[in-house]
Amino acid sequence: MAAVKPSPVTAKRGETVDVLIIGAGPSGSVAAKHLSAAGFSVVTLEQGHWPDANNFPGRKTEFELVAQKQWHPNPNVRDLPRDYPVETSDSDINPLMFAGVGGSTTLYAGHWTPFLPSDFRVRTLDGIADDWPFTYEDLLPHLEEIEHEVGVSGLPGNPAYPPQNAFPTPPLPIGKAGRKAAEGLDKLGWHWWPGTNAIPSIPYNGLNPCVRRGTCMTGCPEGAKSTANITHWPHALKNGARLITGARVREIEVDERGLATGAVYIDENGRERRQNARIVVLCANGIGTPRLLLLSKSSRFPDGLANSSGLVGRRLMMHPFSAVLGVFNDPLDGWQGPFGQLIDSFEFYETDEKRGFVRGAKWGAMPGGGPLGATSFVGSKVFAEENAKVEDAWGANLHKLVDRRFNHMLIYGIIGEDLPEESNRVILDGKLTDSDGIPAPKIVYKVSDNSDKMLRFHVARCLDALGASGAIETQVVHQMRDTGWHLLGTCLMGDDPKKSVVDRWGRTHDVPNMYIFDGSAFPTSGGLNPTATIMSVALRQTKHLINERRNAEAA
Amino acid sequence: MTLSESDRDVFARIADVIVPAWERMPAASTVGVHTDLLDTVLRARPDLADGVRQAIEHCRNREPSEAVNSLYREKRAVFDAFTLAVTGGYYMADKVRALIGYPGQESPEYDPYETAQYLTDGILERVTRRGAIYRPTPR
Repeated sequence: MAAVKPSPVTAKRGETVDVLIIGAGPSGSVAAKHLSAAGFSVVTLEQGHWPDANNFPGRKTEFELVAQKQWHPNPNVRDLPRDYPVETSDSDINPLMFAGVGGSTTLYAGHWTPFLPSDFRVRTLDGIADDWPFTYEDLLPHLEEIEHEVGVSGLPGNPAYPPQNAFPTPPLPIGKAGRKAAEGLDKLGWHWWPGTNAIPSIPYNGLNPCVRRGTCMTGCPEGAKSTANITHWPHALKNGARLITGARVREIEVDERGLATGAVYIDENGRERRQNARIVVLCANGIGTPRLLLLSKSSRFPDGLANSSGLVGRRLMMHPFSAVLGVFNDPLDGWQGPFGQLIDSFEFYETDEKRGFVRGAKWGAMPGGGPLGATSFVGSKVFAEENAKVEDAWGANLHKLVDRRFNHMLIYGIIGEDLPEESNRVILDGKLTDSDGIPAPKIVYKVSDNSDKMLRFHVARCLDALGASGAIETQVVHQMRDTGWHLLGTCLMGDDPKKSVVDRWGRTHDVPNMYIFDGSAFPTSGGLNPTATIMSVALRQTKHLINERRNAEAA
Repeated sequence: MTLSESDRDVFARIADVIVPAWERMPAASTVGVHTDLLDTVLRARPDLADGVRQAIEHCRNREPSEAVNSLYREKRAVFDAFTLAVTGGYYMADKVRALIGYPGQESPEYDPYETAQYLTDGILERVTRRGAIYRPTPR
């Protein structure tokens, strides 16, 4: 018998809906698409707007200039009304994000690196942190389904991963820079593989094929980088889901039974509105989600919603990051994209305690970028020595630097696993507010000794690799500050209500009709880019909610 | 932001400290970083205007190299805004882009179904032959 497709259920203003989703980023978009397809009435509140590809600067001459301000991934640098500010004076790393339909994927590089089997069993394998309540194998079917929604490009057979289904689109060219990196790794006998990216190489699910413009991280003007506004929302809207943009949620409300009844939000015109729902799903990222829970205090939940464990906001993981740059005699067409990963290496991903730390890191080789990128290290050299002058780094030396580096660089980005520590956390700031007067989050975060040792080891190995590739000059930027792309861990998933915030299906232990489907629930962070796993986990949790709809508690 | 001819003259002289003529490369002022390019930069990045203004005032009626060096020592944020306005404009100039071989962010053609060199020359096969490197889920 053929499956019966549910009729679209479109929520009307003022109506109590089946599910309210907060946040239209990668996880919220997956939930909205699949819940609406299953016949749920769905409203999603998103503080930002629909991105307009015509505004992305990649085709404009001033692309590199605006990338450093209006399109910077740090909301404190952009300073736009739709962004909420983040107090970071007690943090070693700045959190990066973007408010809008598609969320931070609007500005991500599209590196598609699912968690590995060991990432779900850190406690069992390495005696630290926590195991996940499910395994790599449990998640794999959801990952493979998401990869076909996203339009991933890549080459199957990577020995860093267990066997899996092929990717839906062929791999992108690795270019001269990727080839140069691969040659060095080949000489050393180290792992490498052509980059897997959330950037299709052929037309796919509303996406255009990548044209290698290389401006992925300021929004793709070609519509060729996979973002949920293209891949998921057209389906969700067709299913009847309703998306309200410019809606900043201030509080999740609960009834006398302790069930969530919906959310209060401020609309674009500054008016307070209320959206009632039988089920609430939070997908506001590892900072936005705990911020909202901490804002939602009541007599029943005096420490914030779903916080009886005291863990809401704690265990923030942001992936300390270092970059190693190599300069080569050969021209590498360094401005050509994709600005996803050309190749990656998992050679030192797994734990080897002889290195003096546990866990590991993934490397992604990326092109060097345009001429302003080639000059960006100049400032740090000025006055490196006593009595040095500006002209020692600028002036004729600027020309020499650009001659030497521009079009001759490749960069290894090192993403090291960030282990959870309760002292690294999100709290509410006592003074700072967003443009609607809602308290802003404050980040308290220190890079651990394990992370520092890990990055230093990996930097040394990257220098070995670049040397083997024939680099004539190298430069290291250790533990960069503006690299907190991956906001994870602040609403721990686990089976024990006293030691975790949500259960293995993303349902909060304290509020039985409230769920968290974003990276906040991650017990550990892996040493790689997490979007693939965030979307896969969101799909897993969404499907469980659909399957258990008859048993789900609802307000 | 309105800049007078005098302001632009000051900017041109101190910009040439940052980007002087060198071998085949023209000086910043030669390609107009103080004229049309400065206007383009400030339209794209209005947040740099205050730094540009302060840099001009700091360096007016001073020997350019001495002025720029003191700007760095005394007003680092202004120095950073000033140098970004100079280099941002300079590397937008058509002549400069042609000289360094930068076509801008182009879209080079490729065939997604073309067999990549790494699949035919053995370099990737060596990775595959070394076998799996992940730790499987413990049972």
